[in-house]
Amino acid sequence: MTVIATESLSKRYPRVTALDRLTVDVTPGVTGLVGANGAGKSTLIKILLGLSPATEGRARVLGLDVATDGAEIRGLVGYMPEHDCLPPDVSATEFVVHMARMSGLPPTAARERTADTLRHVGLYEERYRPMGGYSTGMKQRVKLAQALVHDPKLVLLDEPTNGLDPAGRDEMLGLIRRVHTDFGISVLVTSHLLGELERTSDHIVVIDGGKLLRASSTSEFTQATASLAVEVTDREHDLLAMLDAAGLTVQASGHLLLVDIADDGTYDLVRDAVAQLGVGLARMEQRRHRIAELFTDETDETDETDAGDGAGTTPAAAGTAQEGDGRDAA
Amino acid sequence: MTQPDVAAVPGPPPAAPGASPTDVIHNIGYREYEGPRLGRAYARKSLFSQSLRGAYGLGRSAKSKVLPMILLGAMCAPALIMVAVTVFTHMTHLPVAYTRYAVILQAVITLFVASQAPQSVSRDLRFKTTPLYFSRPIERIDYVAAKFAALATALFLLTALPLLILYVGALLAKLDFGDQTAGFAKGLVSVVLLSLLFAGIGLVIAAVTPRRGFGVAAIIAVFVISYGAVSSVQGVAASQENYDVIGWLGLFSPITLIDGFQTWFLGAQSAFPEASGPPNAGAGLVYLLILLGVVAACFGLLMRRYRKVGLS
Amino acid sequence: MSTTAAGPAGVHTPNPPALAPVQAGIYHATVGRLTYRALLGRRRALLLLALPLLLLVIVSAVRALAGQDDTTTANLLQGFALSAMVPLIGVIAGTGAIGPEIDDGSIVYLLAKPIKRATIISTKLLVAMAVSIAFCAIPTLLAGFVLNGNGQRLAVAFAVAAAVASVAYSAIFLMLGVITRHAVVVGLVYALVWEGVIGNVVPGARTLSVQQWSLAVAQHLSAGSAVTSDVSLTTGVVLLVLVTAAATWFAVRKLATLKLAGEE
Repeated sequence: MTVIATESLSKRYPRVTALDRLTVDVTPGVTGLVGANGAGKSTLIKILLGLSPATEGRARVLGLDVATDGAEIRGLVGYMPEHDCLPPDVSATEFVVHMARMSGLPPTAARERTADTLRHVGLYEERYRPMGGYSTGMKQRVKLAQALVHDPKLVLLDEPTNGLDPAGRDEMLGLIRRVHTDFGISVLVTSHLLGELERTSDHIVVIDGGKLLRASSTSEFTQATASLAVEVTDREHDLLAMLDAAGLTVQASGHLLLVDIADDGTYDLVRDAVAQLGVGLARMEQRRHRIAELFTDETDETDETDAGDGAGTTPAAAGTAQEGDGRDAA
Repeated sequence: MTQPDVAAVPGPPPAAPGASPTDVIHNIGYREYEGPRLGRAYARKSLFSQSLRGAYGLGRSAKSKVLPMILLGAMCAPALIMVAVTVFTHMTHLPVAYTRYAVILQAVITLFVASQAPQSVSRDLRFKTTPLYFSRPIERIDYVAAKFAALATALFLLTALPLLILYVGALLAKLDFGDQTAGFAKGLVSVVLLSLLFAGIGLVIAAVTPRRGFGVAAIIAVFVISYGAVSSVQGVAASQENYDVIGWLGLFSPITLIDGFQTWFLGAQSAFPEASGPPNAGAGLVYLLILLGVVAACFGLLMRRYRKVGLS
Repeated sequence: MSTTAAGPAGVHTPNPPALAPVQAGIYHATVGRLTYRALLGRRRALLLLALPLLLLVIVSAVRALAGQDDTTTANLLQGFALSAMVPLIGVIAGTGAIGPEIDDGSIVYLLAKPIKRATIISTKLLVAMAVSIAFCAIPTLLAGFVLNGNGQRLAVAFAVAAAVASVAYSAIFLMLGVITRHAVVVGLVYALVWEGVIGNVVPGARTLSVQQWSLAVAQHLSAGSAVTSDVSLTTGVVLLVLVTAAATWFAVRKLATLKLAGEE
């Protein structure tokens, strides 16, 4: 069952193409939408909410067509904008109640749901104070609350961690994760911070310049590679020579040594070599891929593949950028 | 701020070690909403009532009640005085015709529009709350219609209440029932159109700028200057005994537009110099068309304005 | 730009960097350019144009209706140009020269530069004055000519009066723009209520009105008796100069201790 399905969706303005034949399927769960500023994330959200007509192509949200059932979609979807949008002289409760009523909740239900939702996002006594005095973290929570108050099936969060300090970011990400796991609501999060999406999302969709770069589950992206990163306190060259002599394929990368894992015995070989040299072992970890690699040059990736000499790194065929290719992230 | 993680864990709630008993009460978990979802009309009504109450400062801080209430008082006080005078001096008619009342107190009405139109729309624009509205199951026309109707209703209350006071007072003074009812009805019709016109112009000007002070100033300027210009040139025309021109000049300012309309269609006495209203049926029709046209144009302009602002 | 000097034992010690000189003077070109751009940006320029246009439309209508008449000319030029248009343009130009910058906080960039506060104020004031004189005096002159072809030298007299009044108004409203964030509303109330109504009606208040002071100038310059003023020429000129200077001085002082407001 797909939550969002687009088919060759395009949005062209006179001077710029915001979306270019985007075809993607988003399944229930937390999905991260990654892209640089101006890549088309906000345009996509506008189209999905039925607020902006697409130039070409189709899109369905929760099974409803965005072109004809916009209002119905907006009743089932919550939206948290990226920018500041809260009037400073109104309290959180009053504001969210009003928004709940604008979503069609009767007055009593609106008040109850508001109280519940504000509690779930973590606002307690402060909910009665005017929002002008809130910190950024509290304001983001209110924005999330107004998106959740009418019990949507899907929420679209536009850069929810914008402007938060690291602790605040962790809390917000945890909250987002709970929105899916505890509340059962699917989430589409946009961001340009790749690290946090790796932690929070089940699936990732990467857009660049309006085109789909890659779409698959997070675990596929961050697969373990068959390479070991070794960091020692001294004498890397000697270690490199020793490991080379022992028959391992080693490559220096900065102050790290990348050792291709031939079999389980590789770990022991490295450990023994380090002990023999009498140096300290600072790190020995299996390398994982980062989403950022998608945005590095294609040439870098092919270099790694060559150096790896056939000891497969990424499932390379799937990893390189393919335009217009929609992967069903199941 | 307490840890959100503790609060929302669903399921059987044995308190975490060291947690106070009140934490247990909070562990209800997320409840889905199965209740009714009322549609666009309900949302429109909610926005309408919130904006209407906001126009009189109800549901907001005490500071925002001061000005509207003072203006409401200033609007009704003369009516009360007139009623008192009529009753106690046994006059045979009200000192002021129902249709003339709003024209005399136009300054108060203008101040009300100037302060409350920005209060209604500028805030949403300044704090960029409009995307939150439009991401809900309402359309642009619902937002515009609700705001327009709310301000027009607020103005109607402001202008109709004194007329009601005059009416009741007139009946208490035992003036002729038929006359007074007819006059009251005509006054109401005139005041309905005035409310629509002033609300439309005020909202269009206020929606242009997110800065409230600017909106207030611009509305005052437009109403005062247009009225000043029209009445001075009418004065000049009067001194030249050019009565037709006086009648046509009234088209160029909101209050004189209403005045001209009611002179022709409601038989009111014109407030123009030498009491020369629209000179002929053609002019009268033009007054009606322009009046309705301006109201429609204001609605259209507001729709256009909010098309650009929908989702940022 | 630091240069090093070889000290004892070859140790390089950089000279202390030269302090940038604090820029003073009456007019600072960059500040002036930025203020011009702010004042003559599209929306504000439309407003500034609308009022003179309205004046010209009105006087044309009156001229078409009533023909040439010196008394009417004097009344209209005083009633519209001097009473309404000039103060309003003064408000728009005076508050617009500094108000938006304070409102959105970008004034900090200016205040952080090594420019004297007095220079900032005087530059903005000069720009505001130039703009308001241009948009007040020229249309008034034109209007006067349309109305009665400079009979009794009314057109020129009122144009000069408009120029003089707009100088004073620019100073007053620039000062207001520094003092309060609601300068536009206050200015409008002043322009329309004080100058427009009280200044014309209440006898005692008339001596305190910029309009009356500039009318004294017009009276002196006009040839006939169409223009009357409650204030003698000397009093008018002295008060104009005093008020302009005082407003400027106050504005400088206030800018020096400006606290940037947060949200309302």
